[in-house]
Amino acid sequence: MKFTRLFALTLATAGAIAAASLTSGMQSGKADLKSAGPLAFGPDGILLVGDPMGAQVFAIDTGDSKPGKGGEADLLALHEKIAAHLGSSADQILVNDLAVNPLSKTVYLSVQRGRGPEATPLLLRVRNGKIEDVKLENILHSSASLSNAPADEKDRRGNSKRSEAITDIAYLDGKVIVAGLSNEEFASTLRTIDFPFAKLSTTTSVEIFHGAHGKYETNSPVRTFTTYSIGSKSHLLAAYTCTPLVKIPMSDLKPGSKIMGTTIAELGNRNRPLDMIVYRKGGADFILMNNSSRGVMKMSAANLDSYQAITKPIADTSGVPFETLAAWKGVEQLDRFDDTHAMMLFRTEGGGLDLKKVALP
Amino acid sequence: MTRLSLVLAILAVLGHAQTTTVSIKLVGDPLVFRVENSGMIQRINNPNFERILRVFVIQPDGKPGPEPIAGEYAIERNHLLFKPRFKLQPGITYRASFKLADEAGTYETTVPKPAYVATTFVERVYPSAAVLPENQLKFYILFSASMSKGEAAKRIHLVEENGVEVKLPFLEIDEELWDKQQRRLTVLFDPGRIKTGVTPNEEVGMALKAGRRYTLVVDEEWKDAKEVPLKGSFKKQFAVGPPDRSPIDPKAWQIDPPKAGTDQALFVRLLESLDAALLQRFIDVVDEKGHLVMGKVTIEEDERVWIFKPDQPWLAGKHSLEILKTLEDLAGNKIGRAFEVDRVDQPSITGPDASLTYSLPFTVPAQ
Repeated sequence: MKFTRLFALTLATAGAIAAASLTSGMQSGKADLKSAGPLAFGPDGILLVGDPMGAQVFAIDTGDSKPGKGGEADLLALHEKIAAHLGSSADQILVNDLAVNPLSKTVYLSVQRGRGPEATPLLLRVRNGKIEDVKLENILHSSASLSNAPADEKDRRGNSKRSEAITDIAYLDGKVIVAGLSNEEFASTLRTIDFPFAKLSTTTSVEIFHGAHGKYETNSPVRTFTTYSIGSKSHLLAAYTCTPLVKIPMSDLKPGSKIMGTTIAELGNRNRPLDMIVYRKGGADFILMNNSSRGVMKMSAANLDSYQAITKPIADTSGVPFETLAAWKGVEQLDRFDDTHAMMLFRTEGGGLDLKKVALP
Repeated sequence: MTRLSLVLAILAVLGHAQTTTVSIKLVGDPLVFRVENSGMIQRINNPNFERILRVFVIQPDGKPGPEPIAGEYAIERNHLLFKPRFKLQPGITYRASFKLADEAGTYETTVPKPAYVATTFVERVYPSAAVLPENQLKFYILFSASMSKGEAAKRIHLVEENGVEVKLPFLEIDEELWDKQQRRLTVLFDPGRIKTGVTPNEEVGMALKAGRRYTLVVDEEWKDAKEVPLKGSFKKQFAVGPPDRSPIDPKAWQIDPPKAGTDQALFVRLLESLDAALLQRFIDVVDEKGHLVMGKVTIEEDERVWIFKPDQPWLAGKHSLEILKTLEDLAGNKIGRAFEVDRVDQPSITGPDASLTYSLPFTVPAQ
């Protein structure tokens, strides 16, 4: 879902690593996704796809790396159109994530046809108002495993029901960052995997904790995150499942380390943060976040470095000041489109889905 | 009628009269739409197939879908084939329309949908206990068959004894925490409401309140993987006791060792209910030489007793239980580490533990 805000850094990196080396570990053939979950673009049109049921991340060379303006991107009644295209009915289509190719501005969607365990995972893209398949039968790709030692090693008795949802994924500066949430232990695994993926990919796995008011420390699964440069350091801005918004320096993500996010905002009760992007407008940086019940929030990212961590109980949403953008209701997915626009997937009152390009506030 | 419209009407009639109907059939496995014996298709170079033959889903209102279904075309002898990219879906009506010069044909078919009877039900819910701690962390709901994904949040309810539904007690995430077969769903209580000092907890408090009674309700309307509703709704009633903020302490467990040379089960009394799923995986039996003892685990008495039946008779001597410290009780407390650690009072406990397992020795006596 996330393409880093560190444009300069990332573009420089993308330039430095030749395209050939980015695809050097890739093979042509079937990208055998067991499920299609969170999406994020890496450099050069490489699409990262979280496959929670296969416990892996795929890197897919979409070949879609020419700079473009995306053409007509809005698509109303998206569900119905996808269902028609896939020869199915709208109730059998789940749209799991949306990502905009930062080069071509083409919108990519991870979708499943069917709701049972045999559902077909798919990648679709929207070009000129038309839905196209990203055909996975013969495509340049690589993958990295998200196996979960030691918990998986302990599974000698077989019939494990353990799986791990991938709650978000991002690419930053030669690393793929994956946030997971287990369906058994309440641990919070954040993995970073070196990219391009090696045969035995180097995965760093860290546990994330939350320290409420400097006192109570708990495991804290990450619901959604984005990357952002605070001062001269790259950070993750992450929203926990228990709602605080925290910052975590990327340099802290070392094997076996204990990560304690610094709380910079509390987003309020009965609310789930869904997606986040960072953008620049009028010379200032902002964070845009869509939520399950508190709509779309806009926050200033200007003073994140100097912002004091929240260490005291607070009455309601507080910390970094934000405004709620009442006009946008039912935004289920959000990604940056270009410097001035975002792509949003709206759930309509009738239960449909509309894909719309909107001007950044 | 004007002269022009008269001419058009005559042309239309003539055109209609000249149309040859071609037959379209659905054949093979996987199913392929086949336009049979088109004379025209043989005669044109580089046909634009997508204009000649299109297959649409017919929506419940009788109209074709907003775009044709995806698929590939081929010409086989004098037949034009359309192979849908995805398997045709039972219960859906498809319409294939062919038009090429004076040849035309349509074919409509509904893929038969077996008339399933509702058979799927909730087999059980963990934890099994009738009294749960106020800071209960999760439920596991086990179904007798695979379920459909995407509607868990609206099918599970927590109702207080006065009949009032608790608002948003659970963490609703689109990913839904299913196992691979989609037969077991993990339902996490909203961690923001459990954690001390986090805004949701301070504003609306825990979903469960000590001293009250609740019912977990699973709706009958929830569809299984075959799109058939459950056989019936499911209810689990339970009472709520005080919160459990203590780490698991295996030192207090009572081990009832088996006798050497027998395949008697090893009984371990855990003194509190622990997480049903983790109990299956996180405890190993190791012999004196450090070899893993293979066997089967069952869990009884509201997840308070761990029972291990060895595949081979026991050897006399020292053994141990090797327990992953990330084992959890009902409130997410682990071995040596409570769900919430007070960093001020217990600075030594914070952060990950370097040792992953806890070793609990026991001896298998010789007969």
